[in-house]
Amino acid sequence: MNNLSMLKIVFIMLSVLMLASAGNSNADKQPNIETESFWIVLPPEVARHTAGYGIIKNTGEASDTLLKITSNAGAVMLHKTEIQSGKARMTHIPNIVIEAHSELVLKPMSFHLMFSDLSPVIFIDGSKATLFLEFEQSGIIKINILIRPNW
Amino acid sequence: MLNKLATLAFISLFSCSSFIVTAEQTLPVLSGVGGDFSAMDTNGEAVEFNHYAGKVVVLAFGYTNCADICPFTLGYLKRLYGGLSANEQQKTRIIFVTIDPEYDTPGHLKSFIGHFNKDFVGLSGSQEQIDYIVSLYQAEYNRLSVLNIPTQNIRRVNPKLFADDEQAKEDNASLYSHTVTLYLIDKQGLTRSLEYTGTPVEQFIKKIQQLINE
Ligand SMILES: [Cu+2]
Repeated sequence: MNNLSMLKIVFIMLSVLMLASAGNSNADKQPNIETESFWIVLPPEVARHTAGYGIIKNTGEASDTLLKITSNAGAVMLHKTEIQSGKARMTHIPNIVIEAHSELVLKPMSFHLMFSDLSPVIFIDGSKATLFLEFEQSGIIKINILIRPNW
Repeated sequence: MLNKLATLAFISLFSCSSFIVTAEQTLPVLSGVGGDFSAMDTNGEAVEFNHYAGKVVVLAFGYTNCADICPFTLGYLKRLYGGLSANEQQKTRIIFVTIDPEYDTPGHLKSFIGHFNKDFVGLSGSQEQIDYIVSLYQAEYNRLSVLNIPTQNIRRVNPKLFADDEQAKEDNASLYSHTVTLYLIDKQGLTRSLEYTGTPVEQFIKKIQQLINE
């Protein structure tokens, strides 16, 4: 083996190392979306709307944006309840950024999933609904969530 | 008037957090908030608010399609009522007034409220009756604009054929913004305190007990 081929090998090895480390640093900057304790309120039979709650965590190193939510249980939107001088109002949040190492908590009187046009086949005590959370970076995340009464 | 109400609410919130240890609290009459009115109970019978004279009343506004706020409020009221003794419960009435009488028929209201506590009183009525009650309590409600909802979300995922107008009406259930104040009313029908689901239940119970013992 001459010096030139030695150099070639060293060069290739270095390139491989550089590529690998570049890949690594890229991977470090990915968001990582996880969901926790999701549930949907089984509404009293006369109600045409209901809410869902849970936690969306981003344990990754980059932010991600929740772009869209769909479900087999009905039409669904991300809503936020806000109280201003004794009056509660709900606003539709079309999309929301979840920063790295942070979480979006959906709970009563705050952020919530707002369901309408409820599917009578899905809305049965103890059954599960499928939720598709579409993120800008992480793509579509599918979760199965329990429907149960809150009383 | 609304500013006054907000100030009163603020003062009452502030005062209860500052004097938790005080056994007896002064609960001054909040003049200009509340009064007698006519409505319809969950059996479809006409009822006058004066009918509850002699009971301590906690009155709230809401509607059955509320989804997030009202079920939470009723859950809170359930805990509040459950914290009273049987004797105290007998001397107290929890009243839920709908701000959506078109959708919330007495039957709807009965079924909705029954999920939380069968003792709770649901009141509906004509639109005029409801608007009068809302104005008496210096409350507010607004229908949320459908324009806020993007069309892809209105898309029906469960298409239905409307058998009749009643069915069509049910499916057009609206969403509203509304006052979430909990009005504490004494045995003479006078409003004595404005509370909120943020009030610790034990504190609220003390106030109810105080009014029962007056
Ligand atoms: Cu909502």
